[in-house]
Amino acid sequence: MIAQTVISMLLIGVVVYAASERRRSPVVALFSIIAAAAGLYFTWTPDHATQVAIWAGVGRGVDLVLYIWVCISLIVLLNLHLKLRSQMELVTVTARTIALAEARRRFSENAASPQALPRPVSSDRAFPD
Amino acid sequence: MRVWVVIAAYNEASVIGRVINEVKRRGYTVVVVDDGSSDRTAEASAPAHVLVRHPINLGQGAALQTGIDFALESGADVIVTFDADGQHRAADIEKLVQAIRVADVDFALGSRFLACSDGMPAARRILLKAATLFTQLTTGLRISDTHNGLRAMTRRGADVIRLRQNRMAHASELLSQIAASGLGYIEVPVTIEYSAYSLAKGQTLGDALMILIDLFARRLYR
Repeated sequence: MIAQTVISMLLIGVVVYAASERRRSPVVALFSIIAAAAGLYFTWTPDHATQVAIWAGVGRGVDLVLYIWVCISLIVLLNLHLKLRSQMELVTVTARTIALAEARRRFSENAASPQALPRPVSSDRAFPD
Repeated sequence: MRVWVVIAAYNEASVIGRVINEVKRRGYTVVVVDDGSSDRTAEASAPAHVLVRHPINLGQGAALQTGIDFALESGADVIVTFDADGQHRAADIEKLVQAIRVADVDFALGSRFLACSDGMPAARRILLKAATLFTQLTTGLRISDTHNGLRAMTRRGADVIRLRQNRMAHASELLSQIAASGLGYIEVPVTIEYSAYSLAKGQTLGDALMILIDLFARRLYR
């Protein structure tokens, strides 16, 4: 009973976490919720877990719950990876903004120098018929 | 007609100056995006009209998007992306720009398989063909070369491009965005001159796998 309660609380935590992530990564959230819900159900219905485990070739119901937990861990790991990627996108936007601002400043300073832009390529030059 | 050539460079100090001068000689405006190089790429890029420096290395896709943004802000009519490693011919830029006008499309994509590309190793050819097949299946675009860095786009075309793949997967992402935009495109034969230098910088099978992972991961979050 104690173990069931602890596991259930952890799984409920996973469901809450997945629900909070559903806007950013809906696919990952969906899989997490399905796996956590299955874990919750089997934690409180060990007979069903054993039946499904035998059917799936796992053997014992407790092993099935363990495997579900491993799956959840992997999904959460994937979510962390995706979070890092989205953080990287924010870093990119920041770095780009800084780089463009600096380039604009130098570009406007040099606008009158010999390094200024060439004249626009004429149509004839760019597009010989 | 203001044609801007965007060159993304990362640790290309030994070749970037020559590449910039070849493009400038043909009358185009050159913007180099130094992607956080640790060598003297920024100093060697002095001949460029504009140098944009990323404070950190972000990847070629990120650098190209930065260059495209700058060119758009500066009033470019046509934007050309051009590799920094010297494997493209500046003469091909004009073919791309001309193709955009004659075919009245928004994108002209260079294809090495429609022209002669000297010294392409067999393994590289197989890898590129596999990538092309993958792109054809996932985007529906009828193209022969998916990872060619030489391409031109009109202002309208550049406006629909928003690269979020920082690294090499940007080439596939760009094609997906072209397909999604419904804008017209054309392939143009261009020559790739392989050298020991450019081959060393080229993509490997491991890079191809990373591209697939990047493309897959990108579909999992907003």
